[in-house]
Amino acid sequence: MRRLAWSALLIVLVIFLTFLVFYELPSADPAQLRAGRLATPALVAEIREKFGLDRPFYEQFWIYMKSVVTEFDLGYSYYKNVPVREEIFARLPASISVAVGAFVLWLAIALPVGILTALRPRSRTDRAVTGMTLFFLSAPTYWLGLVMLFLFARDIGRFPLVGGAGTYVPLSENPKAWFESLILPWIVLAFGFAGLYARMIGENLREVMALDYVRTARAKGLSERRVVVRHGLRAALTPVVTLAALDLGFLLGGTILVETVFNIPGVGRYAVEAIQNADLPAIQGTVLFGAIFIIFAVLVADILYAVLDPRVRY
Amino acid sequence: MRVPGQRGAVLALIAIVGVALLVASSGTGAQHKRGGTLILLSAGDVDYVDPGQAYYSFSFQVLKPVHRALYTIPADVLTAVPDVAAGAPKVSGDGKTITVKIRRGIRFSPPVNREVVAADVKYAIERAFSVSLANSYAVAYFGVIAGSPATPPKTPKPISGIKTPDKYTIVFKLKEPSGAFVDALVMPITAPVPKEYAAKYDDKTTTEYGFHQVATGPYMLANDSSGNVKGVGYTPGKLIKLVRNPNWSAKTDFRPAYLDGVEVREGFTDSSVASRTILNGGADQNADFGPPPAIIKQVTTTPSLRDNMYGWPLGTTYVGLNTQKAPFDNLNVRRAATFALDRNAMRLAYGGPITGPIATHFIGPDFAGKGFEAGGGLEFNPFPSPNFSGSVAKAKAELKKAGFANGVYTGPAVTAVVSNPPITVNQGKVLAASLAKIGMKVNLKAVTTDAMYTKFCGTPKNQPELCPSVGWLPDFHDPVTLLYVTFSGKFIPESGNVNWPQLNDPKINAAMEKAKRIKNAQARYTAWGKIDRMITLTAGAIPLQWTNTLNLVSDRVVVAKMKDVQGQLDLAFTSLK
Repeated sequence: MRRLAWSALLIVLVIFLTFLVFYELPSADPAQLRAGRLATPALVAEIREKFGLDRPFYEQFWIYMKSVVTEFDLGYSYYKNVPVREEIFARLPASISVAVGAFVLWLAIALPVGILTALRPRSRTDRAVTGMTLFFLSAPTYWLGLVMLFLFARDIGRFPLVGGAGTYVPLSENPKAWFESLILPWIVLAFGFAGLYARMIGENLREVMALDYVRTARAKGLSERRVVVRHGLRAALTPVVTLAALDLGFLLGGTILVETVFNIPGVGRYAVEAIQNADLPAIQGTVLFGAIFIIFAVLVADILYAVLDPRVRY
Repeated sequence: MRVPGQRGAVLALIAIVGVALLVASSGTGAQHKRGGTLILLSAGDVDYVDPGQAYYSFSFQVLKPVHRALYTIPADVLTAVPDVAAGAPKVSGDGKTITVKIRRGIRFSPPVNREVVAADVKYAIERAFSVSLANSYAVAYFGVIAGSPATPPKTPKPISGIKTPDKYTIVFKLKEPSGAFVDALVMPITAPVPKEYAAKYDDKTTTEYGFHQVATGPYMLANDSSGNVKGVGYTPGKLIKLVRNPNWSAKTDFRPAYLDGVEVREGFTDSSVASRTILNGGADQNADFGPPPAIIKQVTTTPSLRDNMYGWPLGTTYVGLNTQKAPFDNLNVRRAATFALDRNAMRLAYGGPITGPIATHFIGPDFAGKGFEAGGGLEFNPFPSPNFSGSVAKAKAELKKAGFANGVYTGPAVTAVVSNPPITVNQGKVLAASLAKIGMKVNLKAVTTDAMYTKFCGTPKNQPELCPSVGWLPDFHDPVTLLYVTFSGKFIPESGNVNWPQLNDPKINAAMEKAKRIKNAQARYTAWGKIDRMITLTAGAIPLQWTNTLNLVSDRVVVAKMKDVQGQLDLAFTSLK
């Protein structure tokens, strides 16, 4: 209960800070933007009143918080005059598709590679993983995305294999096209994480495999496979789970760069558009969703932690 | 009109090649075929899909084949012709009454379906004055209509100066004669809107008519049976889908309307990826962004790609000097800054000669025959310097006249607020380096383009001494749209100011008011040309370039008679091979 209360307080704090940043930094004037270049001052003043922008900071903040808490109403976009909640929900499936797909891919790569490097330290595999990790972590996502597009996208790639930028279609409409359109974004996101996670899993597993209880397990005559999977990996994965849950929560809040490069209409791209248009309700909405995802991910991580490690109790 | 963000930053064209391309493309005599769906790529979204709200060249391109205005400028020409109007407007002897007859037989798209009448045009203009729509230009261009509200009503209210004596006649009573009013009838707020259908959407705090709109042109935004377009023909930030309007009749229109439909795919923020997609045939034209330098180089140096690019001269960029604030409240200091500025380096920072000729006044060559020559054409250059690289000697002579000993500025540093894309930041640096040569220290402040306009350069109380990243596109083809709101002392509001020099010269103001009332078009253009010279001589703004826009088209597009007044594809004239 106390944990939930802290989470709620954290969300309020995030919203407050976003409000504060928006008001204090020299972003554009939303009323003026809405009114346009040739608008009269009377029109700007009317718009300011209409959106409540003429009210004091604390009053605007209170009205917003009340709507969020009582109705989960995130307000209307100043720029497009559409409900922000509706816009975010419409874009969530795309962000979830990118994040979850990348998450599955990076774990699918990281787990076997991590185990392999732990069991064969300083082998060629181990060195290759280290090199790949360094490369993918050093390569900026934006650059890597463009390289992938120029190499493999069907419309502009040198080796046209899969869908490129702007080809995303929802899973419900066409599963094959959905899958094809997301292969490159998944690879771009997953490879960096996969290298890092493979190294983490490898290091943790190596340490665990040197512990006494693993030696005891072996002495009891258990098969090596059982020793590694049931005794070694379970313990080695515990710290990784926390990090993975946090990373997934972060990605669900919007994979801004990948969505931008590959023109995927997700929450991340919506956030970028909102910032460009000084659209405070949309900015608040995307920040709020991001915060909720991360806080939820932390809770899930805590639960998984307890499942994986019976010593942990909350 | 607002300059599209990225296009404004990457405007590009070899002027001579561009003109050659224009000429060549007009004379290809290519055969137009019917059918096909044209695909446009854009980085961002249109500002609005409601014709009463839209004020952005990208929006105009998409909405022009959907909403027919009273008059329009067809592809490849710069002269307005009747559209919803049945003929030329009839102007009374005192210039204060304009009568327009409406063409019969134009029908609204489903679900309205009925014939367009004069009252629909009346309502369309009235609604534009309400806060519900918050149209930007209604007051500036249509505020001359008698009875138009000084304070915007929350929702549309009747305007006494617009009468509809019968179903097919609309009469505008003006407060004073206005030659430009007739030219402004091409603006999309004159596109008919059916009151009995739209009022329920307009009566909301912010109109929702755009999401339920009905069309009069050959195309409409795809909708469902109730007329809703949101999520069907328009998904903000993602897709705009135009389909044929089943109620459009070729008998009432001069547009060929070759295409079956148009798709605007949005979110292509990387101009390199988008440009390559067009060149590779994955899409047909760039909408709101310019091709990046690498693509321009590739196209201009590859003969087989020559037909994939065309250009169009449009708009003027300049440095605004705050004439209400020291030191630029002094004419000689302004003249000194103008002489000192290395305009050639400014153009190089912007992209070089490919981005258009260096401007020496404000009405550009795209207004040939409409004020450009009267403004001095290419000969009028009151601040000459070798190769436009600036003349420190002349600048120092001006500073001496301003009272600075030795011709070196010794006053406090000045601030320049620039828009933050690298191109405009570099231009700011060039400006700072130029003014440093005469002893003037410039503090550069880079902010987002919107913040630059709304918080600094467009708000007189916050306005810095220099605004080097400003410019203006014409709304229609009358020089009043280039010079009036941007240099008249009558237009310096507390916010949203576009008279960036805050120029308030009584002689210029009076000349403008007089020019606006001239009925004869040629005489009016000449008058504005002379005003252009007067403005240039105040040195309130330093003209930088008569910029050119550059567009890419795919191999599928028939490159003949298809460019609208903004240089984009006129979608109702474009066809696919």
